[in-house]
Amino acid sequence: MAASVLARLVKSGFEFLQTSFRTTSQAGNVEQVRGYYVNWRMLRDVKRRQMAFEYANDRLRMNAIRKNTILPKELQEIADKEIAAFPRDSCPVRIRNRCVMTSRPRGVKRRWRLSRIVFRHLADHNQMSGIQRAMW
Amino acid sequence: MYRRIILLATRNRSGISPIAEHSINITNQQETKRTSVSTCPNRQRMHYNKGVCAPNNRPFSTSTALSKENEESSAPKTGVTEAKVKEEEPRKSGKENLLDLLSAMKVGVTTKKKFQALKSQKSKEQPRVHPESMESATSMFQKATTEQQAQKESLSPELVAAASAVASSMPFKKSQTESELLQQLRKHESDTEVHKKGETNNIGNIIADMKVGKHPNARSPNRPANQIRFDDDGRGYTHDRGVVNEFDAVRRRKSLFTGKRLNIFPSTTDTTETEPKEVSVPSLWDIELAGQIAAVIKHLPRNGFEEMIQWTKDGKLWQYPINNEAGLEEESDVPFHEHVFLDSHLEDFPKQGPVRHFMELVINGLSKNPYLTVKQKMEHIEWFHEYFQQKEEVLKESEAY
Repeated sequence: MAASVLARLVKSGFEFLQTSFRTTSQAGNVEQVRGYYVNWRMLRDVKRRQMAFEYANDRLRMNAIRKNTILPKELQEIADKEIAAFPRDSCPVRIRNRCVMTSRPRGVKRRWRLSRIVFRHLADHNQMSGIQRAMW
Repeated sequence: MYRRIILLATRNRSGISPIAEHSINITNQQETKRTSVSTCPNRQRMHYNKGVCAPNNRPFSTSTALSKENEESSAPKTGVTEAKVKEEEPRKSGKENLLDLLSAMKVGVTTKKKFQALKSQKSKEQPRVHPESMESATSMFQKATTEQQAQKESLSPELVAAASAVASSMPFKKSQTESELLQQLRKHESDTEVHKKGETNNIGNIIADMKVGKHPNARSPNRPANQIRFDDDGRGYTHDRGVVNEFDAVRRRKSLFTGKRLNIFPSTTDTTETEPKEVSVPSLWDIELAGQIAAVIKHLPRNGFEEMIQWTKDGKLWQYPINNEAGLEEESDVPFHEHVFLDSHLEDFPKQGPVRHFMELVINGLSKNPYLTVKQKMEHIEWFHEYFQQKEEVLKESEAY
């Protein structure tokens, strides 16, 4: 269930190319690979979401063992150390809901996944269904 | 008031009037060992609740409201929650109440033992019917008298066998409990089937009772009275409504094919029935060829509708009307008892101790979770099993394994 919650957070599919990443082909000459994301920070956020999705089940089970009054404390301490040993990007707390269009980290409305500036721009140009300027 | 009389009358096999039931109470008690209700208002309240009880859509969840009433009556509170049969009796003496309690308590313990014996005998895969459906016994009985449905085709033989085993382990009326359990199961099956197919036939049932209304509008536009038009504000002309009204009769037909047949063309029947050809599994080449043909035929979308159609085919757009269980078609075929009765997977764990306690809580939570598939639940349980096996030494040091 944790995995399904986080799957919703993963905005794009599992294929992503690095932005402006240089690869070497078989012939040895360096080529540029163009990507789809606005900037590197957005790419890192995408990677964090994917990793959080992978480790979601494991984290859920480890936390079930840790946050417990029934199991012995020695086991819980070992579980603490194990969960700390997971990669840092696997925890969902590190995910930031960025704007989808501009990768702005702040001022993002969750329902539309857009920053306030982009939202206003689209709404004024009548691109948002059901959105109207408020007047009362 | 009427419901109580009906209930009492139906419960009486000998058909004696409710007033006289008081005198034959003792004989009934010896037969059936019913638990008693001591006070009258208690009984009335129980009746009201059960009479109005809505069809129990989740018969296998614990309905604490119904169980609380029974606590106030002298029902035994053994570890087995199945033995909750609500009976209504006229006032008895205190001694008879006590006798009832004791006799009922003894019965309760043996049912638990019998049930455990049944459990150990049967294989793991056999589904077990939760006898908590007994709690709605009176409402179920009421329904049985009103509607007589006998659809036995949908129940699997395992479920029927399990229901009969449970009913035979109960000390009370065995045939009645078995029929009630089977009825509950059938209702559950029919509900899931209706949900799977969508509600297709219900409108037909509703409309069947309606009367056909006659069209009063048959010839009124052609009457001379309707052909005179009057302008209200003295302009000298009325707003012309166009030729729309002349096609009214044609428009009123709901479909194209409802008129009388002209029999101009012969109806051919030789093209419809052809023998089904042998269809083997399409090879990769066939799939590739079909894809190529589709790519040649497919044009760029001319408008937004075609774009949305294309996206729906690709899977980028959801299917409307929104189906909440869109990707989970095969999940609906999994029977409910595999989701709820997960105790059989706990056999690899130790019987006592904190580990067992923890796993029982895990099982309890998983059985209540409607969002996971059975596979996912099994994966959770197996992960815990492996984890505890790895940490065996640590657990043994703290005497937990």
